[in-house]
Amino acid sequence: MKHLIYLLLAALAVGSASAWAADIKIIANSSVGASSVSAEELKGVFLSTKSSLSDGSHVEPVLLKGGAVHEAFLKDYVGKSDSALETYYRSLVFTGKGSMPKTLATDAEVVAYVEKTKGAIGYVAAATTTADVKVLEVK
Amino acid sequence: MNKIKTALAAVATLFAPSLLKAQFDFTVDDKPVQIHSFLQQGFAYSNENNFLTMDTSSGSFAMTDVGANASVALTDKFHVGAQVYMRNIGELGDYHVQLDWGYGDYKFKDWFGVRGGKIKTALGLFNDIQDNEFLQTWALLPQGVYPLDLRSNTIAHTGADVYGNVSLHRAGSLGYTGYWGIRANDPYGGLYYGNAAAGDPFISFSGKTAGMDARWHSSLDGLMIGVSWVDQTQDSHILDESAGDALLILRNTPQHLTSVYADYLRGKWHLSTEYRRNYNPETYTILGTTAQTNQGTNGWFGTVAYRVSKWLEVGTYNSRFYVDAPQNPANTASNHIFDQTVTARFDITSWWNVKVEEHFMNGYGDTFSYHSFYLADNPNGLKPNTDLFVVRTAFYK
Repeated sequence: MKHLIYLLLAALAVGSASAWAADIKIIANSSVGASSVSAEELKGVFLSTKSSLSDGSHVEPVLLKGGAVHEAFLKDYVGKSDSALETYYRSLVFTGKGSMPKTLATDAEVVAYVEKTKGAIGYVAAATTTADVKVLEVK
Repeated sequence: MNKIKTALAAVATLFAPSLLKAQFDFTVDDKPVQIHSFLQQGFAYSNENNFLTMDTSSGSFAMTDVGANASVALTDKFHVGAQVYMRNIGELGDYHVQLDWGYGDYKFKDWFGVRGGKIKTALGLFNDIQDNEFLQTWALLPQGVYPLDLRSNTIAHTGADVYGNVSLHRAGSLGYTGYWGIRANDPYGGLYYGNAAAGDPFISFSGKTAGMDARWHSSLDGLMIGVSWVDQTQDSHILDESAGDALLILRNTPQHLTSVYADYLRGKWHLSTEYRRNYNPETYTILGTTAQTNQGTNGWFGTVAYRVSKWLEVGTYNSRFYVDAPQNPANTASNHIFDQTVTARFDITSWWNVKVEEHFMNGYGDTFSYHSFYLADNPNGLKPNTDLFVVRTAFYK
């Protein structure tokens, strides 16, 4: 019985972790030609090692300043904690090998910024209204 | 004079938070220009031996450095930027402002870009960011591999880089940099100071450098493994006091630096290690006589850090530095520097930290290798063991 409870708890944990990824929507400016993006591409874009997607579209990341969606996105797609990512960006900034990406406080601000900024790519909660931006499928 | 400068640095440190808050990005011709800066101030106290040209046995605040940069993306593929930097570490730096880096960067594709200008050199884990201790857990990076007094020996080159990042799909990705350029000449660094203090001042220094760095970001999240290799030359002219100020010509050619390193960041744990070999035969010519010596060294370190909370990280490292051929082999303290360090880093805000660190060191290296222990700063002779306490605070935006 005890083992069954452990198995149920483990299944619940896995279920809730994968729910995080499902609760995130990747959005891009309409200038971005691609309709999907791979997890590897997303990681590259948010670590500034990629500045274009497979279709050749130039992209620039925009991040949330914090919160559950931000934490889940970093965990699921970037593989760094918030403080580790900030340190990473600073190491680029202070060697001239990159710039600090745009960070915004709310999902609505990210949507508004992505809508008006050529090449912008960001992430928001799945429930966010995103009528005027492109939603990218993660392959 | 130095006390006045240190006092000014202390005042600047006090006002840094408000200055940083006032910082802003702006646009030129609709192009956003990013401005970033940092200020670091330290205090060091040692029980034995003055360290890093500071009067640490009495306690020293002469440990200040400041940098500021501006960069702008002129197109999607082309950006330019520059950073100025100055420092005052004991007798080094003396607040002379220098161009730290300044270049144009054109990225044709993610896998191929070029840079030209003065560029921070990609070498090992930390060479290009060794001035930015606020990026690290430590108040002082492992000095066996990243000696603060000799930073300018490898910190940057004036020339060109090719770089890129290649996807290896399921195997991760590979970042690479190749470069060629002229080495930095720093009259305010440890090399000039050490020789001048020994009565043999440099009258010229020049050299070239060419090298590569490759780092594999593995498919295991957080694991990076890399290798760097540098082929550089060094031509120096020195006035040799012991030979009646005769001209001594030094040629360190070829000088090969090899570095193998790994970094692993997993959850709250951060581990890193690096091995560095400096193959450095030196040919010297004086009064018509030529001979060769071995100036080679090697070193390595291993670090472990743990993020306890958002505001506290603790860590420890072991750093080892070895001299190939010490001038006095009978003196066992002169062929190495071992350093066991413990650190606590307090992140007060997202742009301000304070670090408290204790070093337990054994050995002081050879007189030619410098590495922070100078006879000129220790006129009564160097002792084999040094305990060093360091507090360092940094503001960065």
